[in-house]
Amino acid sequence: MIIKMERIEVQSTKDMEMIDITSHLERVVKESGLHNGIVLAMTTHTSSGLIVTEGIECLERDVVAHLDRLAPKEAPPGAPGYWHNRYLDFDGRLGFNAGDHLKSILGGINCFFAVENGKVVRGGRQTVYFVEYDGPLARTVIIQVMGEGA
Amino acid sequence: MNLGIDFHTHPLLVREMVARHPELVKPARETFYIGNTFQPIRTFLLELDEAGLDKAVLLPIDAQRTRADMVYNNEQVAELCAMEPRFIGFASVDPMRPDAPQLLEHAIKVLGLRGLKLAPAMQEVFADDRRAYPLYEKALELGIPILFHAGMSWEPGSRLAYGQPLRFENVAADFPQLRIVLAHLAWPWVTEAVALALKYPNVYLDTSALYFDNPRDFLTYAMTHIVPLTVFERSLRNQIVFGSNYPRVEIKNMARAVRGLGFSEECQKLVFRENALRLLGGRA
Repeated sequence: MIIKMERIEVQSTKDMEMIDITSHLERVVKESGLHNGIVLAMTTHTSSGLIVTEGIECLERDVVAHLDRLAPKEAPPGAPGYWHNRYLDFDGRLGFNAGDHLKSILGGINCFFAVENGKVVRGGRQTVYFVEYDGPLARTVIIQVMGEGA
Repeated sequence: MNLGIDFHTHPLLVREMVARHPELVKPARETFYIGNTFQPIRTFLLELDEAGLDKAVLLPIDAQRTRADMVYNNEQVAELCAMEPRFIGFASVDPMRPDAPQLLEHAIKVLGLRGLKLAPAMQEVFADDRRAYPLYEKALELGIPILFHAGMSWEPGSRLAYGQPLRFENVAADFPQLRIVLAHLAWPWVTEAVALALKYPNVYLDTSALYFDNPRDFLTYAMTHIVPLTVFERSLRNQIVFGSNYPRVEIKNMARAVRGLGFSEECQKLVFRENALRLLGGRA
């Protein structure tokens, strides 16, 4: 039985963006010696996410834009604001990124794939994205493998 | 690149500095009360990029006497500025120290810092306390600006009375050539701060005000409803500087909010760059 976990740091460079981390999953699986099992990944932050979709730039834009329509950063003028817009004494600052937390919930924060014969089993068009909703920030993603060795 | 300057940031979450100086964790968490994760310098720079700005003024606080803490000391600010040319370092000195003027002179002439940050509430010294005057005289002699925390203070133990704008009037009047910045629009006393700036051309205000709602709604409230935007545009356009108060708020969010207020393009250039340049003596 193999169970190994790695933390990777992802540096986002924009307010919102999708960053391809597929190669990190494949590397962790390869380096772990896992033959058959699963690999899972999860962002450790509540204003970012993990999404699996086709790896093309136009879809990256659509995904982020759609989530921002569903959960805009600021409520439209005149609309009820977010309850999160208040002073958070444990953070020493105001909370005003409720929309980004909501995007994270809508888009999800984790994913997993089967591993077969040492390879991550994914569709030919499936790309694993770390999704930043409130960057730029240095973020942490955990990748864990579980299963049988060769 | 001549984009703009954030005149009000605190380098509290810079990971490289915490790695070099582990003692900086305590002032971040227990004196400044900021709970966010430490980030590489690169995040700070990307934050400026995202806001469309090229430089940031770094503000320390000498709270040794009152909080047994330095929220960065002057040497640490200088060290960080040496690591990244996009940073402009200010000094902080306790006005009650007998050697305060000498410490300031050292910070400016030897360490290369560019201004003085004072935090009356955290340092527990009213701005108009005559015992602080030798420090102001030294700042004037050195040709540097003083940025005062003004208005409300979040930190537990800090008293609001220190931030009342009228406590800065004697300084503005007694040192008419000394350029002083009242931070945070001195909220909740925005009207009084505006009155000071209207009367005293050496008084500047920075925009780093955010006490409820979000940057857009708060600044609209403070700079449109409390005092009409036309007052800032027509009468104070040469005395407003952009400041974010990062990392209490992201620079990108405050920049977006200020740009959304409705200032003319000419006024935005003044707020985001020209006024800060004038305060800094003409060079970033």
